[in-house]
Amino acid sequence: MLRRRLMVLMFFAAPALSYGAVDVITLDSKIESMQKAGVGPVKFPHAKHQLKLKCGECHPKIFKDALKANDINMKKNMDGQACGSANCHNSDKTFPLFECAKCHTNVKAGK
Amino acid sequence: MNASSKVDFLKVAVLFSLLIMFGFVMSISVDAEAQQPAKKGDAAAATKKVDPTDPTSVIYLDTAGKAAGVGDPNKPAGEAYKAGRGWHPAALAGANLPKDKYGLIDWAKLVREKLVKPRHSLDPAEEEMPPLPMDVLIEAKGDFVANVIFPHEMHTYWLKCEVCHPKIFVPSAGQNKMSMVEIAQGQWCGRCHGKVAFPLSDCKKCHTSPKKTATK
Repeated sequence: MLRRRLMVLMFFAAPALSYGAVDVITLDSKIESMQKAGVGPVKFPHAKHQLKLKCGECHPKIFKDALKANDINMKKNMDGQACGSANCHNSDKTFPLFECAKCHTNVKAGK
Repeated sequence: MNASSKVDFLKVAVLFSLLIMFGFVMSISVDAEAQQPAKKGDAAAATKKVDPTDPTSVIYLDTAGKAAGVGDPNKPAGEAYKAGRGWHPAALAGANLPKDKYGLIDWAKLVREKLVKPRHSLDPAEEEMPPLPMDVLIEAKGDFVANVIFPHEMHTYWLKCEVCHPKIFVPSAGQNKMSMVEIAQGQWCGRCHGKVAFPLSDCKKCHTSPKKTATK
């Protein structure tokens, strides 16, 4: 019984694991603008998001499921797209957009 | 657990949830009943007190016709007093003040719609300072985020110059090296915004002027 359950689980889990194999995605396509603003690239913790969200909550409506296929910038986030979508980092469900250092690396602490 | 005991458990669970629902509905209706006579009682007590020859019994009404104060300075009759003898979140929430998307009171809208007209000072001898109608462009550093147009007018409506100048901001355009990181750490705008003024998470309330160079 247990073995059969495990096999069924493996059957469904295997493709999901292979799709979601990316752990951390570095987002640096807007690096010039980021440097002007005094922040570094974003290290997006994909695995961490997978723990709390189902794939369908982000893909493919908010983010296309391919690396470098999404044109993200802070203005879009502030306009309620991408990371700043209604139930994401523009809501009280998680930390807000102004906490720069939670996503961006090399944030100059100022002074 | 076999099938029949599962069904029994489900039945019990449904029964309990129905009971709780019923109790909740009853408690709401009981509350509503309890509130109505109390209001009537208040009104009756208020009508009994009125004595035209006694100056302390005068009731002042605001423009909306609601009690704003009484002749007796020891007995304020404002809405806040009625709601619980003071300013507290529940009393403010019930006052139908304009709110922003977070449910916080929109103090700027309150001014623009002329819903309040506070005295400029408690001291009548103090000279009145009219708001300063000067907007300052603060450019966002990155290529995408919209620039900020800082409205002196709304700020000076509520605050004196010395609240911000020169301690928090040098009174000279472009001389304040601000950054969003520092603001989020509680410097610059973050001295007030996120504490006593609207929160920093409301990005587009300040970042209003789109960059011409921004692609989208």
